[in-house]
Amino acid sequence: MDSSIDRPSGRSRSSFLRVAAGTGTVFVGSLVFGQDLAASDAPPSAAQDRRVFQYALQLEYLQAAFYAEAVQRASLRGELREFAEVVGGHERAHVAFLKKALGPAAGKAPSFDFGDATSDAKRFGAAAYELENIGVSAYNGQGAKLTDGALEQAAEIVSVEGRHAGWIGTLLGKPPAPRAADPGLDANAVMAQLKATGFLG
Amino acid sequence: MAMNDEHEEAARPDDLETSPEELMAMLAAIDVDGALQETAAAAVRATRREVLRSALPLAGAMGAGLLTAGAASAAGGLTANDTAILRFDLALEYLQAGLYTEAERLGAVKPRTLGFSRVVGAHERAHVRAIKGFLGSKAVPSPSFDYRGVTADDAAFVKTAVAFEDLTAALLKWQAPRFDSRSIVAAILTLHSVETRHAAWIRHIVGVLPAATAFDQPAPQNQMAELVASTHFVVSGWSTIAAKRKPGFMG
Repeated sequence: MDSSIDRPSGRSRSSFLRVAAGTGTVFVGSLVFGQDLAASDAPPSAAQDRRVFQYALQLEYLQAAFYAEAVQRASLRGELREFAEVVGGHERAHVAFLKKALGPAAGKAPSFDFGDATSDAKRFGAAAYELENIGVSAYNGQGAKLTDGALEQAAEIVSVEGRHAGWIGTLLGKPPAPRAADPGLDANAVMAQLKATGFLG
Repeated sequence: MAMNDEHEEAARPDDLETSPEELMAMLAAIDVDGALQETAAAAVRATRREVLRSALPLAGAMGAGLLTAGAASAAGGLTANDTAILRFDLALEYLQAGLYTEAERLGAVKPRTLGFSRVVGAHERAHVRAIKGFLGSKAVPSPSFDYRGVTADDAAFVKTAVAFEDLTAALLKWQAPRFDSRSIVAAILTLHSVETRHAAWIRHIVGVLPAATAFDQPAPQNQMAELVASTHFVVSGWSTIAAKRKPGFMG
């Protein structure tokens, strides 16, 4: 597995944050990102697929790093530990898939600061529930912009994110499926939620 | 971790405070073709009626009221392909809504299963209304079903629920890239992830891994048709829907 998932790469902690700036073109490593992704009216194209996959890769880096750190730090037991280990493995697989799909242009992993969220089971659970639900919203917000092939691949991933969200909900006594429809969120709304977690450093 | 015994309580949707503005934003978000927005105000009025009429989980009813009213205006523009796929989905949602609603009414399954049925039944009924809205005048009536005692037998019921939730999620994944309308793609994706949540939830109740693989594979429509046939739940009315499918559509 790529070591960059488990260890901070030394990149600026603000790199992910700049994605959310939302003004003009934003650079995250080699990733060009920003208003072009937030706009929803561009027809599907290979270039747009790559932009969406770069964005998804950043989300998956975040989730993978979160679970890797929590398994090390949070003294998880029982099914919550199983959840963290199984889901962490899935997120690493999503990272690997997206990196392969993007090839040499794939964005690098930013560094994150999970603070107390990986320090104990209760905080871990609450943060996992939030991150999984953000992940579902993020993918649902992009799916219709993708070409058919990329849409099918993204659907295979968001399907598993939805299962993670349902699973952690049942474990915490929170709604596994809070609504009849999971609304999609655009990139700016997702970034605002992620920024609020404080995990982006 | 021990299985949580408070699922019934926990399962109750907690977003009753969802505002009409949020729902309008949700509609706008899925309205990639811009075709649905004109009816948003009417949708919110429908939403309020749902709130008054139903004591069941409101979020589902509200979301569906919105989707239904909003999408109705787009039905005239559906391609034959999209109509055929949505008719199949509507029949499937009728079947599932009926299954959960009957379990809820009979109240014979275990409390945790009943809590699941209440929430998921409300969601599937909402999906019925949403897909009817997409189809507009092209919607098909419900087939008639006989659940053959499954809704009063916890072991049989949860096994059936796992099969339908897992396969519905797989089916919607298979269908998503096959729709012509990007508005419908966006809307179906918002239902798809809810089906995956249901699948994880009922798998947890049964005691099997809620998320077994890193990637969930799609499954073509004929697999779902086979599952439906294997249950013998359909008394009549399904073949009419199948006959309306575009020839050669089956995966």
